[in-house]
Amino acid sequence: MSHRSDSPCNGSGFVSRRQFLIFGGTGLAVVGTLAASQTALAQAAQLVMSRYPEKRIATLKDLAAKKPLTFHYPNDTVENVLVMLGEPAGGGIGPGRDIVAFNTVCPHMGGYIGPDGYKADHNVLGPCPLHLTTFDLTKHGMVVSGHATESLPQIVLEERAGAIYAVGVMGLFYGYSANPVA
Amino acid sequence: MNSLSIDRVPLPPKDAEVLTTACAYCTVACGYKVYRWPVGREGGPAADQNVFGVDFPTGAPLTAWVSPSQHNIAQHQGRPHHVVIVPDFATEVVNKGGAHSIRGGTLAQKVYNPNTPTRDRLLYPMIRVAGQLQAVSWDLALDVMAAVSKHVLAKHGEHAWGMKTYSYEFFENTYAISKLVNLSIGTPVYAPHDKPQNAEDAAGLDDAGVNSFAACYEDWGMCDVAFLSGVDPYETKTVLFTEWMMRGDNPNKAMIFVTPHKTMGVAYGEKNGGLWLPIIPGTDTVLHLALARIIVENGWQDQEFIDKWVANQWEIEAGYGRGTRNTRWQWRTTWGTFQSDWKDFQKFIMKEEVAQLDNAARITGLDPELIKRAAEMIAKPRADGSRPKTSFMLEKGNYWSNNYMNTASLASLGLICGAGNRPGRVISRGGGHQRGGASAAGGKGWLSPEKYPGRRKKALNVDRWVMDGNVRFMWTVGLTWYPAMLASQELASRVGELTRSNPHQPRNLNRDHLIETLINRVESGGMVLVNSDIYPVDPLNTQHADIVLPAAGWGEDDFTRCNSERRLRLYAKIADAPGQAKPDWWAIAEFGKRMGFDGYDWKDSNQVFEEASRFQRGGVLSYHALTTKAKKDGKRAHEALRAYGTEGIQTPIRVVDGQLVGTKRLHDPTNDWGEVEDVTVNQKWLHAFDTHSGKALLLKTPWSFVGWIDFYEAIKPRSEKGEIWVTNGRVNETWQSGFDDLRKPYLAKRWPWPAIVIHPDDAKPQGIESGDLVQIHNDEVFVQTGEPIGVLEKDLTFSELRKNGHIKVTQGQFVAVAIVSDEIRPGVAQAGFNFPQSMGNSVCHAVVDPVSGNYRYKLGRGVLTKIGESPYKTDFTAMSLKPRPII
Repeated sequence: MSHRSDSPCNGSGFVSRRQFLIFGGTGLAVVGTLAASQTALAQAAQLVMSRYPEKRIATLKDLAAKKPLTFHYPNDTVENVLVMLGEPAGGGIGPGRDIVAFNTVCPHMGGYIGPDGYKADHNVLGPCPLHLTTFDLTKHGMVVSGHATESLPQIVLEERAGAIYAVGVMGLFYGYSANPVA
Repeated sequence: MNSLSIDRVPLPPKDAEVLTTACAYCTVACGYKVYRWPVGREGGPAADQNVFGVDFPTGAPLTAWVSPSQHNIAQHQGRPHHVVIVPDFATEVVNKGGAHSIRGGTLAQKVYNPNTPTRDRLLYPMIRVAGQLQAVSWDLALDVMAAVSKHVLAKHGEHAWGMKTYSYEFFENTYAISKLVNLSIGTPVYAPHDKPQNAEDAAGLDDAGVNSFAACYEDWGMCDVAFLSGVDPYETKTVLFTEWMMRGDNPNKAMIFVTPHKTMGVAYGEKNGGLWLPIIPGTDTVLHLALARIIVENGWQDQEFIDKWVANQWEIEAGYGRGTRNTRWQWRTTWGTFQSDWKDFQKFIMKEEVAQLDNAARITGLDPELIKRAAEMIAKPRADGSRPKTSFMLEKGNYWSNNYMNTASLASLGLICGAGNRPGRVISRGGGHQRGGASAAGGKGWLSPEKYPGRRKKALNVDRWVMDGNVRFMWTVGLTWYPAMLASQELASRVGELTRSNPHQPRNLNRDHLIETLINRVESGGMVLVNSDIYPVDPLNTQHADIVLPAAGWGEDDFTRCNSERRLRLYAKIADAPGQAKPDWWAIAEFGKRMGFDGYDWKDSNQVFEEASRFQRGGVLSYHALTTKAKKDGKRAHEALRAYGTEGIQTPIRVVDGQLVGTKRLHDPTNDWGEVEDVTVNQKWLHAFDTHSGKALLLKTPWSFVGWIDFYEAIKPRSEKGEIWVTNGRVNETWQSGFDDLRKPYLAKRWPWPAIVIHPDDAKPQGIESGDLVQIHNDEVFVQTGEPIGVLEKDLTFSELRKNGHIKVTQGQFVAVAIVSDEIRPGVAQAGFNFPQSMGNSVCHAVVDPVSGNYRYKLGRGVLTKIGESPYKTDFTAMSLKPRPII
């Protein structure tokens, strides 16, 4: 794993092949405006090509609504959850834009949530068994209630001819100083 | 930086500098470590390559880890440095093992970096010319302030010169403020950030003889039952809940939550053997009375404790209860409505009609079975005769609704259950802000024109005094003012009239012109407003203030303060303050010198800390023993405290065998230290209750009390108008007004705008869905005017004030984003709190509790109307609209 001397703010951060999937970093620059962050496109412009592998993880036919599946990505040790939410979601793919995937180790203090933590009624993952944080799977894994200082790392998906591919990761896995790329 | 797409973070190298601090936000004050090293290199993932000595990936939970939000680039001594700010993973106090909240966990994002949203920090002093703020020098700003102040004091007196400031933002700053207000200016026109007047928060607790911060975190860990009134510590004191209440010595404790809003902590408590009592706002006193009655009827009281620790009539009257000087209204504890003892209390509780279960259930809106179950849990002895260890916590939902009676009745309930001074059996506030108030001298409250019925002076209501046009020079420091106070829109409008709408507005920056124009303002009946802050605060300093001073805050100077278990730590300077920003103690000192006052020659914050020490020595937050020992050892007091790191030491600090020893719990008889050593001050409240007899006082709180019931009847939601209760409170992910959070990229996405939580039964008829924009409007907001003198008992009650022309009727509204969820009781909506652009307090009434002088902050009402859809209804990138208690 390489160790660059520049900081993440200088653009070493990643990347998706699909710029439209990528969303904000700077949030609301002007306090008090009600408009949502308009920075997503500006952020996307800073992105470079992914250094993550492409991996076929499932087909559309494998998925039933609200039934999570697990898969490993970007290597064989990192477990993630793939789920069809039944409602459109940030980064969602498929005909309903509702298929998303997330790493489920809590980015607060590393509690394992896993597929059993999926709450189908709300499309929320959690609560984390350690400190009860919950995450909104329709909004890029954002904290609903709790303590994690980042969203759940989201696995970037693509769909081609009925197959679902993992192509990247948005966010740093708990316990890592840099995500594994293979 | 800090994009969610970040997938790596720099690790501190082995030789990174290590500093210690504590969190800037909630009352718990978790310990944090700061790693700082020059830009250009970083540590590696192998244990011998990073300062943690840990291999990355760590491969396990609860390890050292740096999230991307915990890194930033800061200027240190004029050069760019990496800073990593993480909880102290090794600490054994407060946030054991590195626990942290989302607020503290993102402290690094608070550090000034012009490449982040912190770029709008106030960088230089400014004076408003022709409506626009213009950059000026500190000299010019301070000269103008001093010249106008001298004029105001000479011509209009100290009653026309006022300040309103934070009460908590470090001992060094609050001491300087207190010295200026109380000694040098000598004005009664002062109030802390959260109140209109300078008086106690939870007066009923004080009157019982219980210090609001008597407990330590161990107590919340070891109790068997926690009765939590008007609070979910998960939302507002995160780590106290996650480390001590969910865990602690007794992780199987049962929690009883009394709050109309089921948040995550409530859901956890309910799932783990506890109860949720979704009470109608303002009716807690009735619940406490009903619980006390069930206990008395069944003989479940802790008789042994009562016999030993509750004062009887003779003990009360011989010592005037809590003392006449401390109990303003009617000498509250000695006669009249509230005084009682165990014998009398039993009679009262059996006669009080609202304490009868069916009546109580009707008034509180609670299932009588829930009330009975709660009484059993807190008081019923077990089969073997042993008693549950029950502790009682209260916070704003309790004491900011029916201030005096809720606190007094909770204290009485706790006392008959045997709580108040023993491990795991405490009565205590949970805490809001940290405790950083230091006083230079007694206040000038005796100059207040207000008076309680009876003999005591009443602290001046500064908001009202301003609105009535009596203040000519006002200096506000580190607060939002309007959204934090009630009838917020009325207050903001009035301050705007006195400042911006006054015809006397400077047209250039010539010193003489500025002074002349602002003195003309003063003479025309207007007000000159100065504001010190770290950020623009709308509209206080963006639209109203004439002079704006840039402050240096947390991490930009060495500061000190305590948390809610009185734990004192040094908060180290981490980075250079931006631009010309200066700590508030420095601005006060420079102003004091220009006023010709003595004693403002401090060279650094340590000198202020050392000077303040002597004045706090008899108090709960006394660190005088530390300062004295440091002096003997030839050290600076700040350096002596720095050596205590994140663990700090609990005040009051005493000397035992020449060593400094902290104090875990107040009122605890095991604190009887015998012969006292050195500068230790041995106060009675250390090992007994804070009354003349050292025994606690039981207080009666009749629901029909004239100071309460007519107000409550007048402010209830009017069903004919379609109103519901509109209360307000914090959410875990936002600290206070969001001043930092809205500049932290991740938190700004989570809560870009405050929500209002509405039950489906209330939302559906209005066609309101989650994500809709809702106006909340109250067309009858009561605002007290004038400073009536109390002579007879009823004089300051709502009906009398109204009859005598002291109640003005105004209106108020705000806009919030709807979250429709059954987590809230029907008929009650929960709004955000203290957000400058969505002032939930606009629909609450600026009429104080006549017994204590505090507002009833949580008792708003309004009609909810959909006005459109917010962008968050369809935007995937911001503001989750999911319910909070998903478990």
